[in-house]
Amino acid sequence: MKRAYLGEFEELVLLTVAVLSANAYGVAITHEIIQQTGRSARLNQVHAALQRLEDKGMVTSKMGDPTAERGGRRKRLFSISAYGQQTLNDIQAVRNHMWSLLPNAN
Amino acid sequence: MAVSYDPKVRPPRWARALLRYYCAPHLLEEVQGDLDEEFYYQVQKAGARRARLDYIRNVMGFMKPFAIKRKPTATPSSPMNMNMYRHYLTVAMRNLARYKAFSAINITGLALGMTCCLFIFLWVQDEKRVDNFHTNGETLYNVYQTIYADGQVNADYSTSYRNREGRSRILIDGVRQAVPEIEHMSFYATGYELPWGHAETFQVGDKLYKLEGSRASEDFLTMFSYPVIAGNAKTALKDLSSIAISRKMAEMFFDTPEKAIGQSMRYENRLDLVVTAVFENVPAHSTLKFDFLLNWESHMTRLEWATGSMRTMVQLSKTADIQTVETKMNRFLQAQLDKKEPVKIQLGLQPYRDQYLVSNFVNGKPHGGRIEYVNIFTGVAIFILIIACINFMNLATARSVKRAKEVGVRKVVGSSRSSLIGQFLGEAIVLSFLALIVSLALVHLLLPAFNTFTGKQIVSPITSLSSWIILAALMLFTGFVAGSYPALYLSSLKPARILKGVMKFSNGALWFRKGLAVFQFVISIVLLIVTVVISRQTSYVQHTHLGYNRENLIYIRVEGELSKYDKYLAFKEQASHMPGVALVDRSSEAPHAMGFVVDVNDGQRETIDDSDAIKWEGKERGASMGFKPVSVGFDFLKIMNLQIAEGRDFSRDVSTDSADAFMVNEEAVKQMGMKDPIGKWVSAWNKKGHIIGVLKNYHTHSLHEPIKPLIVDVKEYEYFGVIIARTEPGKTREALASLEQVYKAINPNYPFDYQFLDQEYEKLYRNEAVVARLSNVFAVLAILISCLGLLGLVIFAAEQRTKEIGIRKVLGATVGNIVTLLSKDFVKLVAISFIIAAPVGGFLMQQWLDGFAYKIDLAWWIFVFAGGAALLVALFTVSFQAIAAALTNPVKSLRSE
Repeated sequence: MKRAYLGEFEELVLLTVAVLSANAYGVAITHEIIQQTGRSARLNQVHAALQRLEDKGMVTSKMGDPTAERGGRRKRLFSISAYGQQTLNDIQAVRNHMWSLLPNAN
Repeated sequence: MAVSYDPKVRPPRWARALLRYYCAPHLLEEVQGDLDEEFYYQVQKAGARRARLDYIRNVMGFMKPFAIKRKPTATPSSPMNMNMYRHYLTVAMRNLARYKAFSAINITGLALGMTCCLFIFLWVQDEKRVDNFHTNGETLYNVYQTIYADGQVNADYSTSYRNREGRSRILIDGVRQAVPEIEHMSFYATGYELPWGHAETFQVGDKLYKLEGSRASEDFLTMFSYPVIAGNAKTALKDLSSIAISRKMAEMFFDTPEKAIGQSMRYENRLDLVVTAVFENVPAHSTLKFDFLLNWESHMTRLEWATGSMRTMVQLSKTADIQTVETKMNRFLQAQLDKKEPVKIQLGLQPYRDQYLVSNFVNGKPHGGRIEYVNIFTGVAIFILIIACINFMNLATARSVKRAKEVGVRKVVGSSRSSLIGQFLGEAIVLSFLALIVSLALVHLLLPAFNTFTGKQIVSPITSLSSWIILAALMLFTGFVAGSYPALYLSSLKPARILKGVMKFSNGALWFRKGLAVFQFVISIVLLIVTVVISRQTSYVQHTHLGYNRENLIYIRVEGELSKYDKYLAFKEQASHMPGVALVDRSSEAPHAMGFVVDVNDGQRETIDDSDAIKWEGKERGASMGFKPVSVGFDFLKIMNLQIAEGRDFSRDVSTDSADAFMVNEEAVKQMGMKDPIGKWVSAWNKKGHIIGVLKNYHTHSLHEPIKPLIVDVKEYEYFGVIIARTEPGKTREALASLEQVYKAINPNYPFDYQFLDQEYEKLYRNEAVVARLSNVFAVLAILISCLGLLGLVIFAAEQRTKEIGIRKVLGATVGNIVTLLSKDFVKLVAISFIIAAPVGGFLMQQWLDGFAYKIDLAWWIFVFAGGAALLVALFTVSFQAIAAALTNPVKSLRSE
């Protein structure tokens, strides 16, 4: 297969990372998904997905600054990699193409 | 996200701890941070309670491989690991080879412990197998009866019967029809085994043998797994004249089992029986021992009873509820009983396979018995193994001075604590593996001796898989227990300090090891006390004066022609004049183990009006005491060397003596409450007479029970009993030849069979003898193993104080001074152990002695002896090493600095 497989939830998380740009970390991503899609998401699912995405090289991460509400702990901030961006674009392109082939579209 | 942060509201502490525990360290910070942030967000949004629940849910949610999996460290890949393992093994082997004495002590100690353990394990296994081999074992039950009478509760396995309309009828004979849950039921007559019972005589053609056997109901061979090799198990015991015989018996009479079927056998020169089945020889694991079984109907109607003691066994349906069955059986029983009976009888069921281990009754319920020995010895096995493990710990820690540098270097080079622990545990397991090999060899060598020791026939179980699993478990267990402390201790050492050469033990560690030594000595001293008490009691039993002379006595059963009065008189007359025979007389029971007791509330008494067997002048109505009646010949007192307290002996010259004279013992006088017994009337069954003399008390049965009231009369015409012959000292062989010659002439249809009274007496205490011998061995072993441990401690102490000893010597200390210096501490340890062990041992032994009516006192010297012996052995061990340390040249120990 040409490109890495991306699960539906992984895709959603990857998109959210892209949307939140500089401020993408566990809690923020979870809340964003809940707000924007109305579906339920739990921290552990998001963490797991983020880890898989990082393994696949679609996101990169670095540790941020400590904050008080985190008990003085740092957050891991994620950003989308070029490869991740490319994958999202590919998916979008395929979808658009398919939609355009739909006979009774619009 | 701006969330106000309230430090008072916190996530549950345990959930946090759990997270910290399982979460991989490289993820912990972000995960904890996210969870906390989410928690405070939820506090704002939904309140503290909901937030906490949510937190817990999140913690649980993270329990996934991705969060748990540790980041792989760079170094260990698998070939590297293999190298390390090989290296560990090399180091272990080098250590073994370098410190040969240490290794030998270690392995010997562990091997001894394991050998003990294995032997006890084999014994316990064997004990548990007894009566537990029947295929229907799950559903087989023994019926026991509990009898309430005169405020006393007695229970046993016997079955009550009543004499009605001229025949004996078992009360619960018809219970099988009344209780549908009972699928099979069988009676079995006991009391045909020695010492109380006797072998019976069979004749086929000119083959004449005595064999022991019994009588059983039709169902017996189908209920129990005594495999039938010829004939039909279902019908074998159906006919009145049927007999089932063992393979051994079949081969004795008919060469092969197949040839035996349908053959006729002459029984006791009285009845002709037909062989209907041959069963495999009864295995050693069966408590019922028999070479033949006779038909039950025959037993109830026409056979001679040895005792009235019969057992009832039932096989229930798989789904039966024990309590329901018990209730139904009792309801059936009560309907059979006469309303006027003075006793209350109740039936109970005990799983058949428990009967061997749990055969005592307390308050009318089965409770205790051999199971206590099994438990005690299991405990001893575990203790001995623990002692051996403790030694290993002690020795290993003692040696840690030497190993410490190695640990330091390993740590500096980068070894983690866990791999050090692994290394030392591994070494312990290697050692315990070597010990296991040694102990297997020992077990193999000693098994025959062990078998004769315990009177068992245990075979080496090397072939079965389960025993290998147990051996492996034993090895791993020993390795882990023994290796745990050294591994934890050594791996905890701080490399900087070790490598600087400072090697100090915390007080805690020292106390711990001294505690271990005390523990070992407590066990050793307790075992010593046990050994001394048991062997003293055993020798007391063997040497106590029984009130009669049991040496040079032979007894022969009265049977066949000898049952006739004139033949008996002829035998007595002829035998007394033969060489080697001093005196011949008779008794209705073997005088060392009289089992017959009358007028005790055993449930056989019909009604209160029915006359008691024994009555006496001034007896109160309903008074009852357990009389032992015996009928003897005129020379009984002379032949037994019995002492008369008052009155006179039976005499042929007094014409009334054979019909009117009774003698009683002092106990009987006391219990009957007679002031002046001579001349008072007594009666036994239908014979009424007067007391002519009082016998001094003598033991008529085992010393477990107190002496019972005895009543003696003369009945030389009795058709049962034993003939007693006193031989002249040192002429036993001539006497036996003489007796056999006379016996063959008078009683040709019976083989000449005799017992030595003193040997039979000792057999009464076979169990005690086994326990005595076992505890001897274990005490020696425990002491040996404890001394190995002590040796470890003293070696360690000497090593720690090498410099001190050197300086002392330079300053002029003598060898004696230094030995005292090193030994002092250990004397203290032994003293503390003694203080703990003495009361424990005393208590245990008092319990054990309470099982005897006649027993030794727990004298103070027993304790002193045990303590002294332990102390001596300890001092010897300690001085061994202490002298070596004291003799070393101080130059050697001091030059290194």
